[in-house]
Amino acid sequence: MEHNIPEEYKNTTPAKALDNKMLNKMVWRSLFLQASFNYERMQAAGWLYAILPGLKKIHKDNKEDLAASMSHNLEFFSTHPFFVTFVMGIVLSLEQNKADIPIIRAVRVSLMGSLGGIGEAIFWFTLVPITAGIASNMAIEGNIAAPFLFLILFNIVQFTIRFSLMHWSYKLGTDAIKVMTSHVKELTHSARIFGIFIVGALTCVYGATTLDIQVPSGGNYVLQPVTTVISSEELVEYEGLLFASDEKGNRTEKLQDGASVTLLDNGKYEITFIKREWKNISIDIQEILDGILPSMIPLAFTLALFYLLSKRNFTPLKCIGVLLLIGIIGSVFGIWPAA
Amino acid sequence: MDYSVIQIVFIFLITFLVAIDQFSFLESLYQPIVTGAAIGLVLGDLQTGLVVGGTYQLMTIGNMPIGGAQPPNAVIGGIMASVLAISANLEPSLTVVTAIPFALIGQYVITLIFTLMSPVMAIADKCAKRGDDKGIQWINYLAMAALGFVFATIVTLFFLGGVTFGETIANAIPDWLMRGLKAAGGMMRYVGFAILLKAMVSRDMWGFYFLGVALAVIVMASQSLKGSALLLLAFVAFALAYWDFQIQTKFKKIDESMKNKS
Repeated sequence: MEHNIPEEYKNTTPAKALDNKMLNKMVWRSLFLQASFNYERMQAAGWLYAILPGLKKIHKDNKEDLAASMSHNLEFFSTHPFFVTFVMGIVLSLEQNKADIPIIRAVRVSLMGSLGGIGEAIFWFTLVPITAGIASNMAIEGNIAAPFLFLILFNIVQFTIRFSLMHWSYKLGTDAIKVMTSHVKELTHSARIFGIFIVGALTCVYGATTLDIQVPSGGNYVLQPVTTVISSEELVEYEGLLFASDEKGNRTEKLQDGASVTLLDNGKYEITFIKREWKNISIDIQEILDGILPSMIPLAFTLALFYLLSKRNFTPLKCIGVLLLIGIIGSVFGIWPAA
Repeated sequence: MDYSVIQIVFIFLITFLVAIDQFSFLESLYQPIVTGAAIGLVLGDLQTGLVVGGTYQLMTIGNMPIGGAQPPNAVIGGIMASVLAISANLEPSLTVVTAIPFALIGQYVITLIFTLMSPVMAIADKCAKRGDDKGIQWINYLAMAALGFVFATIVTLFFLGGVTFGETIANAIPDWLMRGLKAAGGMMRYVGFAILLKAMVSRDMWGFYFLGVALAVIVMASQSLKGSALLLLAFVAFALAYWDFQIQTKFKKIDESMKNKS
């Protein structure tokens, strides 16, 4: 990514349209979007692998253009696997029209960001639980059809979406290329707003980091009723708790509030008295943080990482190292909740 | 219980395939409900495999990888639960719990693999610079093979070593370290968010980020809305973006017509 990627292609003549066979081939390749997933660029290498046949055809007359296209399509990429064919169709139509590379990049980035979180909400939290839930109950009853039912349902949805989105978005992109390229600045501006808003939403919705820090802060007497059965010999010991004292401090026959003495059939006494117990109070730091601003910790981390990435030129790998350190050092101090 | 070489080979192959499938290919073969039945078939007890698979599936039904952060691994967890149920004759609901340490180990293994794969991107960059498409293909194929191989080896070792071996390994990790690793794993997604922000944000757009956070906090505060939160927020985001697009294009028209007049 350090290599200088040019701003435009050398050969700016729009290439021939990609036929359905080529599009379908790339839909199959899209299944391997996450084949080489890593924290540095996430799905980037898989993304390039998927659109590569199309790119090769589009830039077949110019090796330098192909290299430029491959290089900028290796930049950080992360979206929902089921929606990737949508991004592919649009990007391929832009590449085919030899649009300026910054434009292709902007469209790709805003689309991937926007579709990522929505896809997770729709598929991972809906499709999987529903199909797997139905099938699981069948499996527990020993029904051999269960795994097949799950696989069939799940994959019918998956492949319908992948294929239809690829063809629709490619057509959309090609038809809309004039609108897209003439309004691309406005489109990218709006798409960025969409994407940034969604990232903010993701920070809260998927921000799962909480602290488990209890700060002791004194205590309190707590009144606790205690009921027990005692023999008549032991009754003497409990007189102080059961019977009230008068002004002079002498024991009276009157029972204290909440106290009771009952003679049981077996000759023993069941007594109830109020016990004063010391209870420790502690302050829960997470509660306090949530009272100021819920999701404060995920927000703080995201902003801090943003600062490191953009102003201090940290690589994603370095950021991950920092987080691992924080995790381990934090656990030495016992601040994390149970695993 | 003794198992034949063929059964061990099948366990290896099945794990190899589903380890890859959890991220690529069909992303459905790796689910416990499928692996349970498959392992059950191989080890000669399909019924138990089905029941254990279904039980484990229900337990992990909400656990999907989000933003690159890994949940406890359903591949190792699901397969080990079935293996334990059949080979150690444990009750399905019990094995599901016993499999949890294995699932946690799997989670850490993947996090490690994804971290270690990062330097490979530099090799990919060189391939791109040369326009070398075969290179890109091989990077992806080899990455998948490596993932499959590591998982298959781990599971086969656990399988051969038996319950006690696996538990010893799992228990060897002290609780405080597990908490730290789990916390760190949950924080990986913030890197992804920050990267997206870096790619998209500019000074004048920060307001929308905090708007997204604020509205999400409000929506998530209601228990009944937790599931549909992102969809609702997507509607809001779309409204803002579409409105912005319309305003921008109007400005552009005004701009151009003014230029034409002068």
